[in-house]
Order: sequence, then C-alpha cells, then structure tokens
Amino acid sequence: RKDFLKEDPSTAVSVDKAILTDGDMMEALAGTYRILQSYFLFGRNSVVMGDILADNVYLSSSNSGRLLTLNNYSFAEGATESRFIWTQSYYAILQANRIIGSDLKESVNSSQLRGEAYAIRALLYLNLVNWYGKPYTVNPSADGVPLVTISSDKAGVLIMPARNTVAEVYAQIISDLDKAYSMMPETPPAIHVTNTNFISKPAVKAIQARAYLYKGDYEKARDAALVVKGAGYALTTGGPAFTAYWASTLPRTDKVETIFEISNTAVANNGVEGMDWLYAKGGIGDYLVTDDTYAIYSATDIRRGLILNSTRGTGASAFQAYYVNKYQNVGVADRDEVKLFRYAEVLLTLAESYARLDDGTNARLYLNMVAQNRDPLLVAYTYTGQALIDAIILERRKELAFEGLRFFDLMRTNVSFTRQNMGAKAYSFYTNVATTDFRRLQPIPEVERIANPTIVKNPGY
Amino acid sequence: ASPGPGVFPKSSYGYRLKENGFRLNGDTKIQSINVSGTVTGVDGEPLPGVSVQVSGSSQATSTDGSGRYQLKDVAEGATLTFKMIGYISQQVVVNRSQINVSLKVDVKTLNEVVITDGYRTTTLAANTSAISSIKGDVMENKPYSTFAQTLQGQIAGLVAPTTSGQPGANVDIRIRGLGSLSLSSSPLIVIDGMIVNSGKLGYNSTTANALAGLNQNDIESVDVLKDAAATALYGSRGSSGVILITTKRGKSGKTQIRVDAEYGSSKAMDNPDAGKVLNAADYAVLFREALTNAGNTPAQVETAAESYGLNSGKSNNWYDLVTRTGRQQQYNVSMNGGTEKTKLFASAGYFQQEATTIASDLKRISGLFNFDHEISKRFQLTAGINFSNVGQNTPYGTQFSGSPTWASRVLRPFQRAYNDDGSINTSIVGNTNFPGIYNPLWIAGNDKKYLSQTRILGNTKLKWNIWDKLNYTSYFSIDYNTLEETLFLNAVMGDGAGLKGRSKNYYTRYFNWLARNQVDYRYDINGDQDFYVTAALGYEAQRSKEYLLAADGFGFPSAQSELTALTNAATPNGAFGQYSNYAFTSLYALADVNFKNKYALSASVRRDGSSRFPTKNQGAYFYSVGGTWNVHQEDFFKKQHIMSSLKLRSSYGTTGNASMTNYSWVPQAGYSSAYSYAGYTGQQYSTSGNVDLRWETSKKFDAGLDVGFVDDRFMLTVDYYYNNIDGLIRNVPTSLTTGFAAVGKNIGAMVNKGWEFTLKGDLLRVNDFKWYTNLNAAFNKNEITHLPENTPVQNGSFYLKEGYGFNTYYMKEFVGVDPQNGDALFYKDEARTETTNKIADAKLILQDKQAIPKVTGGFNNTFSYKGVSLSVDVNYNLGYWVTSAADIYFTNASQYLFNKYQYVFDNRWTTVGQITNVPKFATNPANDPSTSTYRLYRGDHIRLRNVSLGYDLKNVSLFKQLGLSKVFVYGRATNLATITFDKRLPIDPEVGYSGFDDQDMLQYRTFTFGINVGL
Repeated sequence: RKDFLKEDPSTAVSVDKAILTDGDMMEALAGTYRILQSYFLFGRNSVVMGDILADNVYLSSSNSGRLLTLNNYSFAEGATESRFIWTQSYYAILQANRIIGSDLKESVNSSQLRGEAYAIRALLYLNLVNWYGKPYTVNPSADGVPLVTISSDKAGVLIMPARNTVAEVYAQIISDLDKAYSMMPETPPAIHVTNTNFISKPAVKAIQARAYLYKGDYEKARDAALVVKGAGYALTTGGPAFTAYWASTLPRTDKVETIFEISNTAVANNGVEGMDWLYAKGGIGDYLVTDDTYAIYSATDIRRGLILNSTRGTGASAFQAYYVNKYQNVGVADRDEVKLFRYAEVLLTLAESYARLDDGTNARLYLNMVAQNRDPLLVAYTYTGQALIDAIILERRKELAFEGLRFFDLMRTNVSFTRQNMGAKAYSFYTNVATTDFRRLQPIPEVERIANPTIVKNPGY
Repeated sequence: ASPGPGVFPKSSYGYRLKENGFRLNGDTKIQSINVSGTVTGVDGEPLPGVSVQVSGSSQATSTDGSGRYQLKDVAEGATLTFKMIGYISQQVVVNRSQINVSLKVDVKTLNEVVITDGYRTTTLAANTSAISSIKGDVMENKPYSTFAQTLQGQIAGLVAPTTSGQPGANVDIRIRGLGSLSLSSSPLIVIDGMIVNSGKLGYNSTTANALAGLNQNDIESVDVLKDAAATALYGSRGSSGVILITTKRGKSGKTQIRVDAEYGSSKAMDNPDAGKVLNAADYAVLFREALTNAGNTPAQVETAAESYGLNSGKSNNWYDLVTRTGRQQQYNVSMNGGTEKTKLFASAGYFQQEATTIASDLKRISGLFNFDHEISKRFQLTAGINFSNVGQNTPYGTQFSGSPTWASRVLRPFQRAYNDDGSINTSIVGNTNFPGIYNPLWIAGNDKKYLSQTRILGNTKLKWNIWDKLNYTSYFSIDYNTLEETLFLNAVMGDGAGLKGRSKNYYTRYFNWLARNQVDYRYDINGDQDFYVTAALGYEAQRSKEYLLAADGFGFPSAQSELTALTNAATPNGAFGQYSNYAFTSLYALADVNFKNKYALSASVRRDGSSRFPTKNQGAYFYSVGGTWNVHQEDFFKKQHIMSSLKLRSSYGTTGNASMTNYSWVPQAGYSSAYSYAGYTGQQYSTSGNVDLRWETSKKFDAGLDVGFVDDRFMLTVDYYYNNIDGLIRNVPTSLTTGFAAVGKNIGAMVNKGWEFTLKGDLLRVNDFKWYTNLNAAFNKNEITHLPENTPVQNGSFYLKEGYGFNTYYMKEFVGVDPQNGDALFYKDEARTETTNKIADAKLILQDKQAIPKVTGGFNNTFSYKGVSLSVDVNYNLGYWVTSAADIYFTNASQYLFNKYQYVFDNRWTTVGQITNVPKFATNPANDPSTSTYRLYRGDHIRLRNVSLGYDLKNVSLFKQLGLSKVFVYGRATNLATITFDKRLPIDPEVGYSGFDDQDMLQYRTFTFGINVGL
C-alpha cells in the first residue's frame, strides 16, 4: 500500500508545497532575512570587510585570529570569508527566488512580501557584484557574478551558470528594485510589523539610490534619493538624541535616521561572532580605529563620540587604542541591529549626485545638512567642483565609518589608497593598495570553480 | 522334528504379533515398567537434550544436563528411539528398567545440521549459500560489553574492530569489505526474526551501541549471511551482509538451572613504547631544545622554562592520573525446561564494567523469556521477550578538551593536577595550570555525560500446519527502545564555566515493529521423499518511529553541586521535539529443489518498498539463484579416502542498500529557531533532495566449497566472492549559485572481491585429548570502478580514482632526515628522484599502502583433556597502514607546549652525521613533516585476544554428592599481548576503517575468574 510507505519529515515540508498561503510566504521571507543576518553576510563579515579592506580600521596586535587574512591582504581562492559571502548570498537568493517565483496569487500581502524579496535579491546582487566584480564606473563589461533568478527546485541543482557582466548584473538589480517599488502597496499591510527590520517601500529606493550611485548614473541616483527624502525621513536633532539613537537596540518606526537594518534580538543574534563583539571593547575588540580616521573628526563632531578612546591589554603590554563604539550593546541580551541603510547616506548620495551633475547649490545644501547636523559648530562648506565632491566623499567616510561602505567608495572612485601603519599596536601591515592590486576583488571561491568549470577566475588568484 | 509352539525365536515377536493379532488386546496383559538410564556419546561424555520416544506412542522425554532420562509405565517390549541431531538414531527394546545408550556421531551430519537465513530453514546439505555460524558457547561469559566484540576473529570475512575502550561502545562491523561510500556499510542485524535498529542511536553519547543491552549468555547462535543466496531475502537492506542472532529457547526434559558468576579486573592497555608520553625530565629537555633550536637566547629559554614550571620540581604523570584498575563482574541465572508441548527459557543477567579510563563505565541488567507451546497438533505458538537497561557514563572522546585520554597525552607533566593543599587544580590562568585544555580530573568528577538505554524486544509467532505439506506462519515483533541522555557541564571549569553550569537532556524513543506472514509448501516429486520442492511466499511490513525531545539550559545553583537536573537551570536555552520515521513493505517468494541431497537449487525474489526513497523509485526487485552439489553422495567419491565429504556451491543475486537518512531525498523547506527573524517564524529551502534517488545495488557472486576430513571431524571451507556495487550514492558538488553545495546522486560503482578460508573442527583427538580449532583468513580487495566526472583525486589522505582501492593513501612522501642538518626530506616528484626540505614543494604521491587490512582473520583453539580445557584465541589484521588524528601534537616541535611521543624523544636528530628518521626538534613550519607519510605507521598486528583455562569439577566427589550437572571454574585474560611490526607505531593499531586513530578511550585487558554451575 502506497500510504504505508508515505513518510513525511516533521521539521520540513516538501518545497513544492512550502508557499501556499500568505502566512507561508511571510515565513519564507523571514527565513530569507535570517540568512542576511548570518555573520558571514550582513551580520558581520560583509559589513566589516568594507572597513577592514579600506583605511578605517586595523587589526590589534593581540587578537583572536578572526578575519586575519583580510587585514593582511593575504586571502586566497580558498578563503573562508569570500567563500561564505558567495554561498550565503546565493542561499538567500535561492529563498528570494522561491518567493518571487511562487504561484501564490497576488494580494496586498503577497505583493508586499514579494516586493521585499525582489529588494533583498537586488541588495544581494549589489553586494556580490561589488565584492567579486570590477566597479561599474571602471569597466561595466567586466565579469560580474552569475545571475540566478529561478529557484533550484524549478531550475534543478545541476546548472552551471557563467558570470554575467557587471552591466547585466546592475540591470537586474535596478529592474528588481523597480518591480519591488511598483508592487509594494503604499500602505504596508499588517502581515508583519512596519519597522526598520523590514524593507519598506522607501527602503527600496534607498537601495536603488546606492545602486545608481555605484553605477555612476547620478540623475537616477538623485531621483531615487529624492523619493526617499519625500517619504519623510529625518536626522536626529542634537547630541543627546544622536547618542541615544546609537545606544538603542530596538528597530524604529519613527523614520529617524534608519531606513533598513538587520535585526538582532536576544534569542537570534550572532553571539561572539557578531560585529559588535568584533569591534566593541566589551567584546573582543580586535579591530581598532586608526589614528588617521580618528583625526578626520573635529573635536565638536558628535560622531567622534562613537569612537572610544581607551586602552587595550593590561599591565606592561597595554596601549592606547580607539575602539569602534557604534555597536555598544555587547553586554546585554538584545544586541545592536546592523544598520544597512541610513537617511544620512541618502542625503550624501543626493549631495554627490547634484555635485556630479554640476548643481553645486543643491549639492552643498545636502552636504551641509548632514555635516552641520553632526557638528553644530561647523561653518557651512562652500566648496565647488572637485573639492566639493572630495568633501562629500570625506563626509561619507565620517558619517558611514564602520558601516561597511568605505571600501566601495574607494573602489568606485578608482583610487589607490593607504592603510595606516599603526606600528607595534597592529598585528601586521599592508599599507598601499594600488588600483592595480588584484586583491581589490575577492576571489571566486575554489569550490565554485570545481563544481562549475564554466566560471572564470578573478585575475591574480 | 517338526516345529511346535514356542519354537519361534523371541526376536520374531513381530511375527507372533501378526499371528495372534486378534487376541493381543483382549487377552494379553502387557507389563509396564519404569525405565531410566543415561545417554552418552562414544567418548562417554553425557549427552543432554537427546529425545527419547516410545515408538508408536506420544510418550517421550529428553535427557537432562547429565544425559539422564526417565520414563514411567512403559510397556515391556516397546521400542525406545533415541534421537539427536548430529548422531545416528538408536532403537532399543524395553526389556529392563535400566537402559544406557551410547550414540554414535553421524558422519554425514551435513544432511542434518539446520541452516537458517531467517526466512527458511534448510539442511546443510541443501544449503547453497555462504553462511558462517558460531554457537552460543563462544559467546558465553565473555568479558565484553557487546556481542560484536566477541565476533572479531571468529568468522572469515567479518571484521569488528574495537576502536574505543568505552564499555558499550559502538562497534562497526564490516562483512566482505566496504559496502558503500556514503551510506552505512554496517550489516543488518536480525534478532529472533526482528530487523532491529542498530548502530549508534541517540544524540549526545560519545559512543554507544544500541545492542549493548543484549546479554551474550542469552545467545544460542550467531549466523553471518554473506552471499546473495542468503542475503537477497533481505532485499533492499542485505547488501552489507546480515547477522542473525538467535536467543536460547527451552528444551523439554528435566528443568535445568544454570548459574554463572564472574568477577575480575581490567588493566590499561598502554600504547606501544614508541607512543608513551614523556616523563617530566625528558619533556623538559625537549622543551628547552625546541626553543633553543628556534633561535632563542639561553636567557629567553630559561625565562620560558621558569614560567612553565620546569624548575618547580613539581610534576605529575598524566597517564597514571587518568587511568585506573577497573572492576568488572557479571552474574547470569537461567532456567531451561519444559515438556514436549511447552518449553521455556528464562534468564536474568547483570553485567558491570569499569573502563580503565576515569569516569567511564557501564551497567546492564537484562532478562529473557522465551516460550514455545504446542497448542494442538496443528498449531504452535512461540513467544519471546527480551528486556534490558544499560547505564553508561561516556566521557568525551577524540580531541575534546574534556576527554581524559586526549588530556593524558597532550598535557605537560608540569601542569599541576593538584594544588599544594591536595585539592584539584581548577585555575585557568598561568602556565602550570590549565589555560587551554581542562584538568581532566576535575571534569571527570564534576561533568556528567550519562546514557540510560532501555530496550524491550518482543516477538510472537504462530505456526499453523494447515495440512501435511502446507504451513502458515504469522510473526509479529516490536523493538522498543528509549534513550535518556543527560549532560551536565559544571560551572567551575570546562564548557559550562562561562554559563554558570549547563545541562542538556535528550530523550529519544524508537518504536519499531515488524509483521511477517509466510506460507510454506512442500511438494514431493512423484511422491518421492528424496526428491522434493519447497516453496514459500511471504509478506512483511515494518515501521520504525523515532521521537526526540531535547532541552538545554544554563545557570545552575552556585553551591549545590548535586543539583544537576535541568529544571534547576535559571535560563532555558533551547527546546527540540521532532520525529523521524521509516517504513518498509516486502513481498517475497522462495523455492528450493532437492534431489536426494545430492543436488539442490534455491531461488528467491523479493520486492521491497521503502519510505526512504522517492515515490517513483520506492520499489525494487531483488533476486538470487544458488546451487549446490554434494559430491560425496556420488559413487565415484567413495573411491578416495582423503576427504570424507565434499560440497560445491555457488550463488548469484542482487541486494540493496537503503541505509539513507530518513527523508533525505525530499526537497525540503524546513523550519527551525535558526531560521526565525525578528520574532517571526522562518522557513528555508534547506535540503535540495533528489527525487531521482535509487537504491544502491550490489550484485553478488559467490562460489564455495566445503571439504570434510576424517569423518567430517574437521572441515575446510573456501569461498570466492565478487560483489559489484552499482549506483553508489555520492555527493556531487553543485554550483553554489544554486544555493546548495552538493547533491546526493547514484553515481559510482565499486567492486569488492576476495577469498575466505575457514578450517574448523577437532583437528586432533588422541584418547582424552582434543584440539578444536577455528582458523580463518579473509582476503578482500576493494576497487572503485566508476566515479562522477571531475571527481578530485585527492580525498583527504586518500586517492580517489577508478581502478584503485577506496582507502589507498595519497600523501606527500617523507624520505628521511638529512644527516647534515636534521631537516625532514620529502620527494619533489612522483618518480622519487629529487628531494626537498620544504613540505610545500613536496608532491602528493600515490602510496602502495592502504588503510584497510589486506588479510584479516583469527586462530581460535580449545584444548581439552578430561575436565580441563584451555582456550587460546588469536586474531590478526595484516597489510594496512594507520595514522593518528592528533599525531601532529605529539610529534611536531612547533607544538612544543604539548607532550610528545617517546619515540620522538629517543630518535630525534641532534648531531651532525646522525642517521635517524625523526627530524631535528625545531620549530620550522616549512619543514614540518606532519602531513606527510612521516605519520603513517604499519598497522599489522596479531593479538592474543582471549586465553582461558577451566576445569570441570563435576566429577570431583564432593560435587558429585550434590548432584550438580556442571561445575566449571575458569580464569580468563583478554588482550594479553599484541605483536606489531613497526617500531615507530605509537598507537594501538586496532583502528576504524579509515585507518585513523581518533584518540578515543583506551582499550584494556581484563582478568576474570568465573564459575558456571548447572543444577
């Protein structure tokens, strides 16, 4: 009898029956967000690498060995970090593809959820193409990453996709975000809470603004950023509010500062592998702020308060050290959210877009909007031309330090840069990163190459 | 003279009966007498269990343990028939009250010995398959916690290495080599007809055997089915062989009570001298040498030496601290008796064993109740229930910081076990304390890792003899198994320290049932009883349901160290509840043809369905055909006098391997707390599954012969086999862009082929002296014949390629040590022409060395003389190479903070010109040989596994008066000696099939004394 032999697992359903209701789709979406939370992805590595590989932080001479090869620029094809960004991203893309491609009929709920899945997929591809492919601004026809948009239960697991070009990947990202924005209802349905832990309609535009900026399409970047601005976001006002904002572990509903951030709760966080542990003095504090970085802030800049001037080590081996203090809640159960999109970034995108479109007035307006908010005593900038663009890039560094975006600014502007030699305080040095350095791109994981011979290596590995 | 009345000879009673038939009943009063006597063999030894029947009546009995019988009111002149399998039956006319009989061994026992494969019962003569059996007396009173340990060395082609000294440890059995690359290669275990869940069940024990509850004294026989003719009836689960365990059943006759008691001790089985840990003085020398050779100044070396306590004068021997003399004991009581109609066997047993490693032990209580009842001439009921509870303390094994074995090898002698005040040192700061590895003495005393396993195995069988030639059998069995695992990690030191104490509890329950209905039919061709066909048709269904409930919490009362129950935890940390089931259905048919026991053919076919496979591939057919020719039945055979019997047999057939994880084919979207986000339940497409998955199929060919010598007093069995395993499931790497790293596919094939030899029987019989031997040898060769395209040839330390054995080493090759500078040298090329002192420049070279023994076997002997018997069992594994998981720590100078092997100390290069094979003790990663063949050791060994000397006191006058049927006392030693062939070998070479020593708990020697008393 066939029935007798029918045994079903108790902790899973067959994937073809997994998304039949709005509730199913919500659960699938939650599962997707949870992958983003992984410390291999936005829970830590994919964010901290944007600062480690750039010029903001250095590895302390005493350390736990975490992410050591990144600090030393000695990572190779088999490296754990690049492998897991790849695997976790595509694992999350698989989940998003499953939601996008599900047969669940259109409803307010499913449109919201499916829209978020499109946005997550776009965010993942943007992240992937930036780590593994050349910047669009450098060579749009260079190898990007393979575009997989159909769930493996439908496409099969034996596909061997080749790398799409950077331009093709960007086209997919932008189209996904357009779809997401157009399908998501104006009023979010109650299928999940409306807060910064989930991608909202304006958040879609924030992602798109970043994508256009990286692409160098400043008109569209400006337009997308303006949509966000029009959605009613605001910066904090005054030092105490700013401090309180960074001290909070809770997702927000007030449209202040944060647009989208990854949840970390008391029951679901990365523990000792979290980004907070890596940076905070109360954690292991392995990565410290370079003196150069500390020096870019004026004494009256409230953002300098997010760097803790303290000591590392005990007794004779102790030394003065600047700790990253943006993620402060290592000692409590409910840990800091990882802020992926903040309003300040959107304002600076707006500023840069205007500057690059030769609208100095508007560029300065938005630059000063951020800069003067953070430093109340600052006299408004009056730069023009390239100096204005440079000031905006520097402001981005100040504002978004330790949030994982610095490296991509250095990449898309295609500059050689220097990582400060911190002498005895540092574990080791790799100071000059020329534009020709092959390690500006992450290696395509060796395991992918073995399983999928059609994929092309990144040069140098 | 003419014949008159009375002249008929007395012996022509039959004739007279005929003549006076009509009057007999009416007129003649037949005298009744009570008859008793003793039945012995020709050697005068009493024969228990001989059936004594009054011909033509239902009156019958059987002899007791002393060979005695008694029958009341037997008609004078009636005939008694004395019958026993393996002996020639005898008939005696009742003409006196004392009738003693001596039975002769039936030379042609081949025809009588019963062979069973679980679905059919046949005679040895008609048997076409390769089945090896050992009887219960081999299993009895062995000081091993599981039956699998006893099997090692007993059966050609079966290996069962004990890789852990944990009592009750799981033993992975292999029959005729590696049966699968990804699935289990362990044989199917069948106990009294029930296919049980075996192997390691549960979730938290370091190692535990699901069958540790089986009392070896309850085992009547163990049959090992090896070829297709025997295993094809197990269909989808027979490819790795089948082990049938039959428990003891009651015999009719006088009730026999048997009491066995054994007591003894266990002593650590030390590593070979090469692998002993260094004492404090030697370690100090190496420590300083490592630092000096690394370029440190004498002052720097002394500063380090001071900080590591080398000058403190305080040290300890860690090996001595974690080992101990263990106690062990076992007591068994059994009762056996019944009438012709109702028989029963009941037993109770207690077994307790302490490992020689601290914190490891086992206790078992077990009971068996087997019942046979003839309801009527046509209905027979048998039932059995076997229950057991095993309690096991299992400290961590391998390289876990809590593992006492590991700790004993890596800890420096200068790390102080005890504080000056005698308390256990729990400090984790400072180089003479425990900043890394925990103090094993504290962990052993304060962490708990306990398993309580309760098993109930019950079965009933109803046999209905519908008519002469047609039988119907209905069988039902359950295998109910619960495992309660409790883990407690103390708050002071160890894994629970940061959490103020932690506890995890696991409750796992298996409910496994099987039902079987079978019809057996016999047809005599042309009415000839010597030429017949038997056929059977059956249906079988089985379902096993596993349920797991687990919880985890931390934050325990700070000062109440006894309160380790999970409820005391302040913070709950996780809860798990799930089930995992499988089901099988089978329809099978089998047929045998027997022509005068001269030629016999057998065939079987089975259709299996399993929940473990995708709906479209759930079913498959398995079949076998076999034939045998008993050459000794031919006239020409009788012209020679070397052999007393000769039997040729061969079979071919298919079996499957269904030991997939439950549900693994299903593409699954799963739920878990690890998938939730921001408080929302999360689902992930987490298992790619493969809806095309099929069984792995093994096509088995076997050809064998059984030759008897000297009236079949001893027999030689030779088998050749060729197993072609097709559709091997192998994980094929997938592009990670699919979201998955690999998918299991039926891709790959391999062959196991080899020879098996067994010489078994009484090799010598000189007057009262007897030498019984079981000498066996098995040669197995494994060869991969097909692999997925693009499979990397490097598979860990092994070479993975068509045409090669699965476990052939592929490593960088260590050449030796440069006498000039002490550097390790390696070959740079496969031709072995150029050497280098940089391991990075060395080339991976295919080695002519494998991890699986080429030859395995045993040499088991029992010498007996009058009441004295001496058993000497030896087993051997030859032609293989082993390595040790954590060798690097014990050999490499860069790991100078861990203790080292004695061999390294004794043989390291120190002076220019010195010829040795241990490099200079210097920290130099570029020259580190630890991933090369430097760490490969010859594993060949011959082990004296069991020596026992016993004496039967039955005939001593004192005991004679007590009327005891048996009073046997003995002393036994196990693992007394091991011969190895590599002076570098630092570990016990009895390792798992990967050639890897996991640094698990040490095996040990046992010394026991026991007594068996039969009432």
